[in-house]
Amino acid sequence: MTSPIEKTIAVNQDLQAEKKRRAAEQRAAFAARGTLVVNIVSSPGAGKTSLLEATAKHWGTSRRLAVLVGDIATERDADRLRPFTPVVQLTTGGACHLELSLIQQGLGQLPADDYQFLFIENIGNLVCPASHDLAEHVRVALLSTTEGDDKPGKYPKMFRTSQALVISKLDLLPHVPFSVEAASDDARQIQPELAIFSLCSLTGAGIAQWCDYLDAMREQLLAGQSSMQEIPPH
Amino acid sequence: MHEQSLVRSLLTQVEQLRIEHGADVVTRVEVEIGPLSGVEPLLVREAFELLVAAEQDANANSQLRPDLELVIHTVPLGCRCRECGSEWSADSCRFVCDHCRSNSVQVISGDEFRLKNITVRMPQQAEVNI
Repeated sequence: MTSPIEKTIAVNQDLQAEKKRRAAEQRAAFAARGTLVVNIVSSPGAGKTSLLEATAKHWGTSRRLAVLVGDIATERDADRLRPFTPVVQLTTGGACHLELSLIQQGLGQLPADDYQFLFIENIGNLVCPASHDLAEHVRVALLSTTEGDDKPGKYPKMFRTSQALVISKLDLLPHVPFSVEAASDDARQIQPELAIFSLCSLTGAGIAQWCDYLDAMREQLLAGQSSMQEIPPH
Repeated sequence: MHEQSLVRSLLTQVEQLRIEHGADVVTRVEVEIGPLSGVEPLLVREAFELLVAAEQDANANSQLRPDLELVIHTVPLGCRCRECGSEWSADSCRFVCDHCRSNSVQVISGDEFRLKNITVRMPQQAEVNI
């Protein structure tokens, strides 16, 4: 006599466990080298490249930094940043976010590996990049005054998984219906521990405070503060 | 997010588990999806149906059955207050404690996309008489 046996097997496996493990490993490797990795996310046109230009200009040659910049097509952003810093353009050919393997590939094209700061300029998109850990230590959401102060609540995962919020294009504030306070309150309801900066990359207003924050984050990294090692910060 | 590629790796994992357990076929796959996972249940179901059908078309000997059942358990957005320790399920991404109004809130569940169980049919075996 024969009998078919059906059984249920408990698996309980995180389907992204392997990705998380690789990101944690790469993050530790960056930390061991003393490189603070900053992943900058925003909608298209919020001013990621302008912020990086302003940051590089502010520091001049006093810091060793490099940029990996993601775009679907063209080298335009890399061309803008090249006068200031080593930069590798990552063109995704259509993918709407960067992934760790693209970052690792880009690292090999940088002229050195002992940077104090590595900036990743993500693809302009407030949705998909939120779900991809690029082994960064700090995720920074950039929100420009022209986008509206209601965005944090509409894209909660992006703001929940960020450590800092930078409100950009402050010079346009008199011309647009945007409240820095309303945007900050909305974001803090999602992530109360967000560090918030308001600045204008074109005039340089607020850039010094932003750069001080990055220095402080790197000091924390060198001191081995573990709170920065995990993304998202729950 | 990118449900099609996530479901493709889910199906690869399911097939590996089937082989590991020496099963004939998988009849049911159960996953857990949280609201902060970035994964949309409706799109997971659609991708699952499309990929299972595509596998049938591509491979006549496929071990994936066309009637493979997908069960999606949605996980609540579980929160714990760091101040007073109370726990609750949030229905939006407004992280404020219901009890003490603190906004120092830890998310304790809701960001998962997890393979929970699979149900398999084992090979028919002759009954052993001892």
